[in-house]
Amino acid sequence: MFVIIKRVFRTAWQGLVRNHWLSFACIAMLTISLMILTSILIFNNASNALIDILKEKTDISIYFKRDVPEEDILRIRDDLIGNEKIAKIEYISQEEALKIFEEKSSRNPALKKALEELGENPLAASLNIKAKETEYYTKIIEDIDNSAFRDKLITVDLMENQRVVERINAWSRGIKLISFLFIILAAILSILISFNTIRMAIYSLKGEIEIMKLVGASNWFIRGPFLLEGALQGLIASLVAILIFMPVIIWLSPRAESFISEISIGLYFWSHFWYILLIQTLFGMFLGIVSSFWAMNKYLKV
Amino acid sequence: MSLIYFKNVSKAYNGSLILDNITFEVGPGEFISIVGRSGVGKTTLFKMLIKEERPTKGRIFFNDKDINKFKHRETTFLRRKTGMVFQDFRLLDNRTAYENVAFAMEVAGYSEQAIKKDAPELLNLVNLREKANNFPHQLSAGEKQRVVIARVLAQRPELILADEPTGDLDPINAWEIIKLLTKINELGTAIMLATHNKEVINTLGRRVISLDGGKIIRDEQEGRYLI
Repeated sequence: MFVIIKRVFRTAWQGLVRNHWLSFACIAMLTISLMILTSILIFNNASNALIDILKEKTDISIYFKRDVPEEDILRIRDDLIGNEKIAKIEYISQEEALKIFEEKSSRNPALKKALEELGENPLAASLNIKAKETEYYTKIIEDIDNSAFRDKLITVDLMENQRVVERINAWSRGIKLISFLFIILAAILSILISFNTIRMAIYSLKGEIEIMKLVGASNWFIRGPFLLEGALQGLIASLVAILIFMPVIIWLSPRAESFISEISIGLYFWSHFWYILLIQTLFGMFLGIVSSFWAMNKYLKV
Repeated sequence: MSLIYFKNVSKAYNGSLILDNITFEVGPGEFISIVGRSGVGKTTLFKMLIKEERPTKGRIFFNDKDINKFKHRETTFLRRKTGMVFQDFRLLDNRTAYENVAFAMEVAGYSEQAIKKDAPELLNLVNLREKANNFPHQLSAGEKQRVVIARVLAQRPELILADEPTGDLDPINAWEIIKLLTKINELGTAIMLATHNKEVINTLGRRVISLDGGKIIRDEQEGRYLI
C-alpha cells in the first residue's frame, strides 16, 4: 500500500513538473476560479451586512397625544413587548424627545428660536418599536391600528410607515436575490473554466492514457496520479489566489469603507482568513479532482 | 492446448467487412507472421486480440478462455500477458526509457527492488543501458523500438504482437529488431508479426498466414511472402 501511494505521489509530481506548461495553464485557470469563489464569499458577506444595516436602521415610532399619562404609555409598552414579532421597544418621554430635538437642531438657530418662542415643549412622547424581522412591521402596524389604544395616538398616517417598511423589505429581497444569482452564476463560471481547462489538458494526454491501458494498467492505476495531480494543482492555485487577494484586500478595503462605512471587507477577510483559505483549498482540490476524473473517463474506455 | 484460437471471426466497420470468417490457432512459443496488403485487417486482428476492438462475429480464445467474456480485471491481465510492439512505438513521451520500462513493471505489480534490478538489465538486453535516462524524443526510431521491446519483456508476456515493428526503421535497425524478436521467441515467448517486409518473411522461414480480401488465403508452416 505504501509503495502504491509513493508511486502515485512520484508520478503525479513528475506529471506536474514535466508538463509544466499544461500545469501552469491549469493552475492559472483554477486560480481564477478560486478568486471568483472568494469574491463570492466576500460579496455575500457584504450584501448580508448591507441587509443587516437596513434592518438595523428600520423601526417605527408611534406618538402619543400629550394628555396621555406616562403610566398608560408604559403599560401599553409592556403589553406590546409581549408581541412575539417585536424585538425591542424604547420609550422616549416628552423631555427626552425635546433633548434629542435640541441636540439635532443645535446647528440650526431658526429652529432653536422657534422652540424658544413656543415657550413649552411641543413634542410628544413616543414608543420606538423594533421588529425581530423587517417582514413583521406590516403586521405590527396592523395590530397597532386595530388596538384599543389607537385613540391615544396622535393621528398619524401609519400607512406612510408601512410604505417605508415595504420599500426596505423590497430592497432586502432584491439584494438577497441579486446576491444569490451572482453566486450561482459565478459558481457555474468557475466550474466551467476549470473543467474545460483540465479537460483540454487531459485531452492532450489522451495518447498517454491509451498507451497505459494497452500496457495493461487498470483504470485506477492510471487515474490515481492524474487525480492527485489535479488536487495538487488545486492546492497550488489556492495558495496563489490567497497571495493575490491579500494586497487586493489591503488596497480595496479602505476604499469600500469610504462608500459604506459599516461594510468592512478587510475586517471580514482577515478575521476569516483561515476559513477562506480552507474553503478555497477544498474547492480547488475538489475542482481539480472532479474535473480530472470526469475528463479522463472518456479515454479509459479503450 | 492452443495459446490463441480465432474461431470464425468476422469484423465489419460501418457495414464494410474487413475480416471474413477467420479461423486459426497459435500454439505456445510459436513464431507466426501475418502478411497482406495495407488495410487487409492485420492491425484489426491484433486489436481484437487485446480487446481494443470486438469481433462482429465469432469468438477469440486466449489460453482456452473466450476473451469477449473477460471483465475489466481479466482484460488488463490479458494485456499484460500480450505485449504489443507498434510501428509508431507508443512510448510515454514524458518518461525516460528507464521509466517506460519501470511503468510496465509497476503495472504488472513488481516490487521497487525488482524494478531497480530488472529494468536496467532489460535495457541492457536491447543495448540501451547508456540511454536509460533519455526521453523518447532524444532517441532514434530504432532505439525507441528497442525500448518498446524492453517494455514488453518487462511484463514477461506469453505472446508478443508486433504490428509493422520495422515499418519506420532503416534496414540495419529493422534487422536488429527482427533478430531481437527471434531471440525472444527462442526463449519461449510466442510472436505474431504483421509486416509488409517480404525479405524479412522469406528469410525467417517460419509459419506465415496470408490475408487477402478479408480471408485467409494461405497458412503455411515454412511460408513465404506470396502476395
